[in-house]
Amino acid sequence: MSKLDELIKKYKGGESELISILEEIVRSEGYISFERLNSVSIKLGVPLAKLYGVATFYSFLPTEKCGKYIIRVCSSPSCHLAGSKTLLTFLKEELKIGLRGTTSDGRFTIEKTSCMGQCDKSPSMMINSKVYTNLNKKKIREILKGLR
Amino acid sequence: MEMQILRKTKWGGFKNARQMEKTQVIQIVKDSGLKGRSGSNYPTGTKWESMGPGERYLICNADEGEPGTFKDRFIIENNPQLLIEGMCIAAYAMDAHKALIYLRGEYAYLKKGLEKEIEKSNKYLRQIKLSIRIVLGAGAYICGEESAILESIEGSRPIVRKKPPYPAQAGLYGKPTCINNVETLANVPLIFSGGWDKDLLLFCLSGDLKKPGVCEFKAGTSMKEIISAASPSVEPKAVFFGAAGGCLPYRKFENLPLDDASVSENGAMLGSRALIVVGEGRSMLEISKVFAEFFVHESCGYCTPCREGNFRILELLKKIMDGSDTLCDIELLRKLAPHIRDTSYCSLGRTSTNYLIGAMKYFESDFTKLCR
Repeated sequence: MSKLDELIKKYKGGESELISILEEIVRSEGYISFERLNSVSIKLGVPLAKLYGVATFYSFLPTEKCGKYIIRVCSSPSCHLAGSKTLLTFLKEELKIGLRGTTSDGRFTIEKTSCMGQCDKSPSMMINSKVYTNLNKKKIREILKGLR
Repeated sequence: MEMQILRKTKWGGFKNARQMEKTQVIQIVKDSGLKGRSGSNYPTGTKWESMGPGERYLICNADEGEPGTFKDRFIIENNPQLLIEGMCIAAYAMDAHKALIYLRGEYAYLKKGLEKEIEKSNKYLRQIKLSIRIVLGAGAYICGEESAILESIEGSRPIVRKKPPYPAQAGLYGKPTCINNVETLANVPLIFSGGWDKDLLLFCLSGDLKKPGVCEFKAGTSMKEIISAASPSVEPKAVFFGAAGGCLPYRKFENLPLDDASVSENGAMLGSRALIVVGEGRSMLEISKVFAEFFVHESCGYCTPCREGNFRILELLKKIMDGSDTLCDIELLRKLAPHIRDTSYCSLGRTSTNYLIGAMKYFESDFTKLCR
C-alpha cells in the first residue's frame, strides 16, 4: 500500500480529514505538488478544483516547491513595532534571497506571516511549525547556524 | 494576587455540575452572566439553550488570529485543565458526545500538551461518553469566525456561511453545533466551583511596552490603569483594539473605562481585548499600512468590497508613503473605508477598515503631511 493510501485510510471518514491529509503531505514532502493533489482528488473522490481551492487558501499549505525550512516572519503590528522589518531584511541578507525566495541549496524559504499570537514576545517567527520568539540578529544567526 | 483564570478547580466544578440536571446547569450559566469572550459577547447560556435536537457537536474555538491577541494561548499554556473541564461541563449540559478543539496552525506546538491533558481527563470524559479531538488549522484569520471553522473542518474553503440557520440548528455536517471560545469555556468550571467574578476579563497588552503580556482586569477599568500595568516604554500615542476594533488616541481617552459600551460609544470596538499600544513618534500612516497588508492577505476573496477595496487601500497608503499622493487620494481613502465597512459580506470585511477610519479621524496630519 502506498504512503498516500495509508494516509487516506488513517483519516477517511473522520472529521477534518482533508486538512489533516494535506498537512501530513506537507510534513513529509514539504509541499503539495499538483500530481499529489491530483491523486488525493482521485482517491477521495473530491473534485480537483475544490481541492485546489482549499489547498491554496491556507498559508501553511504550500502548493509550490519551497525550501526544507520555511521561515515565516511575523508581520503583525505588534511585531512590526518590535522591529520585525529589520529582522526580515537581515534574514534576506544572510540567506541572500528575497521574500518568497528559496536558497539555491533548497534549504530555506523566507515568507511573511500574519499574527502568530506571540505578541508579548515579539518579534517572532516560525520555522516549519517551530516557534521562535524575542528575536534579535544574534539569535537569528545562531538559529540559522543550527539548521545549515 | 493570583489571576482568577489560573485557579485550579481540579474537576470540582464538573463534579458539582454533574449533580444537577442538564437544564439546571444551563440555567446557572445563563444566570451567571457569562458572555462570549472572543469579543462576541453573546450570552453563553442562551447559546447552549438554543441547541437543536439530535446528535450534537461542541467546538472549542482556539483559532485566535486577531492581531495582538494571545489570551487563549496563555490559558492553554498555563491552565489547560480548566479548559477541558469547561468543555466537559458544556458537553454534559448540551448532551453532546463529540467535541473538537480547532487549534490554529500557529499553535501546533501546543497540540501535544493539550492531548496529554485530554488523556489525563479520560476518567471524566468517559463518565459523560465524550470524545475530544484536536483539529489543526493551517493559517487563516477567517477561520476564527464560527461558521468558517465549520467549513474548514468539513474540508471546504472556509467561506463564512449565511445565517440563519445558525450553527445551533445546522452546524457541523448539518448537526446542531455549539462553538465557544477558549476563554469562555475556561470560565465555566469557575462558575460551578464558587467565588467566580464575571467581570474579570483577560486583556492582551503588546506594542511599545516594557512589560507586554496577559493581564486580568475588571471590565470598565480605565485605559490608563490597564496600560500602566505593562509599563509603556514611551508616552503612548494611540491604542489599537486588535486589527478589527479600530483605534483611539491615548491622551484624549486615557480615562475611558474599557468596557464594550464605552469603547463602542467612541467609535471603536473592544472586541477580544487586545490592546496594541503605539508610542509617540510613530507614524499612524506606517502602522495603517501594516494593517492594510494584513487584511489584503487575509481577505477570503469571496466578496468584492473586501477583496478589491482593501487592495486599493493598501495601494493608496503606499502612494502616500512614497510622497506621490495628492489630497484627492486622501478623499478617496476616506470614502472607500466606510464603503467597505458597510457593504462587505462578513464580519471580517465589515471590520477591515476600522483601523483606518480611526487613524484618519484622530491623526489626520499623519496622512496629509506627505501630500502635495
